[in-house]
Amino acid sequence: MNEIIKLRPIETSEPLKNLDRICDMESGRMSGKIFWDKDIYEQELEKVFARCWLFVAHESQLPKAGDYLTTTMGEDEVLVVRQKDASIRVMLNACPHRGNKVCFAEAGNARGFICNYHGWSFGADGGRLMGMHESKCYEESGFDKSQHGLRQARVASYKGLVFATFAEDAPTLEEYLGPMTWYLDVMLDMDEGGSEFFGGCIRSTIECNWKIAAENFVGDILHGGWTHDSAAKAMLGGPVTNVGELPESYSVNWNGHGYEFATDVVGNAATLGEREINKYLHTLRPKVAERLGEFRSKLIGAISSFTVFPNFSFLPGQNTVRVWQPRGPDKIDLYTWVIVNKNAPQEIKGKWRRGAMMTFSPTGVFEMDDGENWEYCTKTSRGMVTRYQDLYVGLGMHTRIDDSELPGNVFRGQLNECNARAFYQRWKDLLQSPTWADVPDRNGKMR
Amino acid sequence: MSQVFLCHRDELEPGTLKKVAGGDAGDICVYNLDGKYYATADMCTHATASLAEGDMEGDLITCPVHWGQFHIPSGQAVTFPCERAVRTYRIITTDKEVFADTSAESEEAELAAASPI
Amino acid sequence: MTDIDRELPVPFEQAREVEAFLLREARLLDDERWDDWLAGLSEAIHYWMPGIENRRREDRSGPYRLEHMAYFDDGLRELQRRVARFKQPSAWAENPPTRNVHLVTNIEVFAGAEADEYVVHSCFINVRSRGLDEQHQISGRREDVIRREADGLKLLKRKILIPNAMLLCKNINTFL
Repeated sequence: MNEIIKLRPIETSEPLKNLDRICDMESGRMSGKIFWDKDIYEQELEKVFARCWLFVAHESQLPKAGDYLTTTMGEDEVLVVRQKDASIRVMLNACPHRGNKVCFAEAGNARGFICNYHGWSFGADGGRLMGMHESKCYEESGFDKSQHGLRQARVASYKGLVFATFAEDAPTLEEYLGPMTWYLDVMLDMDEGGSEFFGGCIRSTIECNWKIAAENFVGDILHGGWTHDSAAKAMLGGPVTNVGELPESYSVNWNGHGYEFATDVVGNAATLGEREINKYLHTLRPKVAERLGEFRSKLIGAISSFTVFPNFSFLPGQNTVRVWQPRGPDKIDLYTWVIVNKNAPQEIKGKWRRGAMMTFSPTGVFEMDDGENWEYCTKTSRGMVTRYQDLYVGLGMHTRIDDSELPGNVFRGQLNECNARAFYQRWKDLLQSPTWADVPDRNGKMR
Repeated sequence: MSQVFLCHRDELEPGTLKKVAGGDAGDICVYNLDGKYYATADMCTHATASLAEGDMEGDLITCPVHWGQFHIPSGQAVTFPCERAVRTYRIITTDKEVFADTSAESEEAELAAASPI
Repeated sequence: MTDIDRELPVPFEQAREVEAFLLREARLLDDERWDDWLAGLSEAIHYWMPGIENRRREDRSGPYRLEHMAYFDDGLRELQRRVARFKQPSAWAENPPTRNVHLVTNIEVFAGAEADEYVVHSCFINVRSRGLDEQHQISGRREDVIRREADGLKLLKRKILIPNAMLLCKNINTFL
């Protein structure tokens, strides 16, 4: 009889030696090398993407048993399948025989998945190997089917958002998200219907490093007034709101996650240029206040942006949801969805779908200027001198609010780079830690 | 003639099926197709798989492993990757019980075998 | 989708006129003559480029749907807003300008549902270059309704289908 083949754990590689030199968040400096280096990228695949909880789907995308979609976790191809018992399973979309992709469609409904190479057939119920073409010869050689199913990930949901991880020793999703769930509720829990994705997925490519995009959404509203002036003038007839003059705004972060926001209720939503959407949010706000409190009700469409570490981001108000899928140090595949309240009128959902694409998409009047910025932040690091020059990430040092009643690490003002510092610090901590247990807790300490 | 007890007359709803141990004959799958009973070998002729774990679709049985199909009454292979017919068993029914005659094929199977196609 | 058996040809002169309309449109876009391009649109324009889904043949959803996210799902107001951005001096990603070539080919002109309408099929290749070495190519098929209005031929409806289920460039800063 053959020995049972056990899946070998990924070996942890030695941390790269110069990480402190090229990423120094105490001083607010880093080098473009972190956007360019292939060794760093390989370690990111191992220590960030194979360890963290990664967004894979919204529950609403898989309403019936057998519904599936394919996506990636880092660069790992995965299958996400709704089960008969209503749970969701996430498994490697790679046959354990020779590694061939098992499911080639992006979405659908299936009773199972059969590899095109040798006819290994896997049930939709979590990827059990059910049988093979020429099964007799396997039987004669002592093959044990039960040991060769599709590799499963740990799966957990938060209010409709489905995350998965292959790390057995990762904290629970609740622990991972920490107090940022309080802020996620602004997008996910406005009323009892909760949220849904509307209109499917759009995919595109940008030749930039994934961290540049994730960092932009974690806490960079600073760029809004300059980068997006043309879009604001086109959509609203005037420049971007002068964010510096808004009366109340914050940057909040936790373990690399970050959210920057004002309290102007519809600042983001207004950029869609749809009065009906503004009206919908204003009308909904008292209900949200009852459910989540007065403070959070002011954030539902406000000038803001959010990244869940490492690469899941969204904009409340425009309702655009992203994953920056890494495809090498200098490329991402960008997956874009639109999120709406389930209970919103159908017409409003349609306006959001069109409005989000009009503003933040490959044809979006706002996003078109971002893509170019991000590509060239990456490409200039072709140069050796450029790659090692100090990049400034120091805005807003010493702006922590120590006695804030808000959850998480809270900082004054959304024109601030504290969330970027927290993002890169967390990134570095993961690259320098052999296991999850070694990752330091810096909450309450970063400036 | 060798008889294997399959089930009681009212045991299976139309459109359902069940696996029965057949002794020397091997496992048998019994089907209720619109009120009429049929029986075939349970093992798919393509690869190791239990037809009783599959789905009845009209008068076809879809194998759960590679989704090939057989015509239930005659056992003929209808859809890739099934190529060889599955063995059928003639049904004998009494007042209350359903049996398989393991020495005979179904009438439909014999007709199919005699056909020039 | 036009039923291929019911496609009715139109007189040669009209077909040439429609073809000239499409070729001129391509030249206007190459030259960034945005206002002239907008002037060629009917006020009732629906300009649609759906996202493409990579689904199995037997999946009845098909590769695209009206309710799916779309690169363009625009009426005149949306197209005017896009042009408004192109013209802003602060459209940083447009300065230096993108250089465009729009090729139009495979043009077929048929009688439309109404007397003054044409159903027009065509294919396109758009090549854009920015900076020194950036080049992006998008190709696809278009199905148009072109209508004869008081002041000439106008584009009433356009459906653009690209073969890509993932757009292999960072943006589409032109029209197709």
